[in-house]
Amino acid sequence: MFDRVEAFYRPESVPEVLRLLQRSKGQARMVAGGTDLVVEGDRSVRFLIDLTRAGLTYIRSRDTTCVIGATTTLADLEESTAIHALAGGLLSRAAAACGSVQNRNLATLGGNLAHGSPAADMATPLLALDASVVVADGEGRHKMPLAEYFGRAWQNGASHALLIEVRVPMPPQNGRCGWSFQKFGRTEVDLSLVNAAAGLQLDARGRVKWARLALGAVAAAPFRALPVESLMAGREFDHSLLAEAGEEVMREVQPIADLRASEEFRRELSRVVAGRALEECAARAGCSL
Amino acid sequence: MKTMSLCVTVNGESKQWTIAPGDLLLDVLRREGYFGVKRGCEKGECGACTVLVHGKPVNSCLIFAAQVEGGEILTIEGLAQGDTLDPLQEAFLDHGAVQCGFCTPGMILAAKALLDRQPHPTEEQVREALAGNYCRCTGYRKPVEAVLAAAARRKVPTEVAR
Repeated sequence: MFDRVEAFYRPESVPEVLRLLQRSKGQARMVAGGTDLVVEGDRSVRFLIDLTRAGLTYIRSRDTTCVIGATTTLADLEESTAIHALAGGLLSRAAAACGSVQNRNLATLGGNLAHGSPAADMATPLLALDASVVVADGEGRHKMPLAEYFGRAWQNGASHALLIEVRVPMPPQNGRCGWSFQKFGRTEVDLSLVNAAAGLQLDARGRVKWARLALGAVAAAPFRALPVESLMAGREFDHSLLAEAGEEVMREVQPIADLRASEEFRRELSRVVAGRALEECAARAGCSL
Repeated sequence: MKTMSLCVTVNGESKQWTIAPGDLLLDVLRREGYFGVKRGCEKGECGACTVLVHGKPVNSCLIFAAQVEGGEILTIEGLAQGDTLDPLQEAFLDHGAVQCGFCTPGMILAAKALLDRQPHPTEEQVREALAGNYCRCTGYRKPVEAVLAAAARRKVPTEVAR
């Protein structure tokens, strides 16, 4: 248990959350699903602010954007018809790959991103989809690309700003498009050693119109492999292109070594997992190798 | 120590408890005598502490008790109707799916949540639903068989599926 906690707040609106954050002068932690906060084991926390009643659980589909509130659970994403319809259900598939049913009923999308884990499984599909986030602090709300959010969170700690929602632009529906999420962990429910999300559009002759590739757990933060994307554009999708893309992936990753895997294994695995993702995209776009 | 009050419904009964603001749901339930909620890894990995909150299985070791204010909780103690066991409990006994019994409450509750949503699951769906419940004695084959048998025995018309 957390025996230093003096107060547990359950604010029912965003302004109330921000007021509480300001008042607690850095001694409060925000909690939603608790799947990271509780496990992390920092028991020195004095104030807890529960976000799950602050009105941030929603999925709204607009014309060109899908907006997902920060406390939407991974189980919600797995089940939502709006999310199933977005990029061939990419986000539903990624959500379903996170932990166990019990974990996914608690874990929230916002928590997955704000916690700043390099292995966050929702980060790569959202990067591949060019998602933005909206955060709020004492000075108001700011929208920024997800990649920028990860950069900032790394510099000054994510806990000072409240993540409000994630905005996902609807990807183009026309043409032969495919999306894929792939992860590799020691077991189905374990953390990713590598995860990758990719998107691909092929033209009528099987050439790549555009490719997107995001990689997770193999650098300090999940990132878009832009050199791989530009290498693929305009080329015919075949085995030699996949091999070249794989080589480039291995140059771009900066994996760590820990109890789960060595650096070399993670680097090799990055190539394999990225390759599987790109191949699945192509298959979904109607081109099987 | 600061305290606060918690109002919840547990196994259909309204409860009002005094808790510490930092109490986890697992701690509170065991303190109040629900020993079917097992303390296992306390990291959300093993599933022994699984309870249903509003019908959904969650790790009670990862959720603060205060977050469940006003909520409905089902523990293994609330599953049998008097002396009549739930078909899932019967099936676990019939199939020898219980050995030491430590993982059993969590497994049965995870399975119940599945059957309430999906009365006729495939084996793969059962395995997915139980993936968050570790067993260190019998393995998973017998529990999976038991859940499939219980599904066959529960005469739930498909259209009632929520």
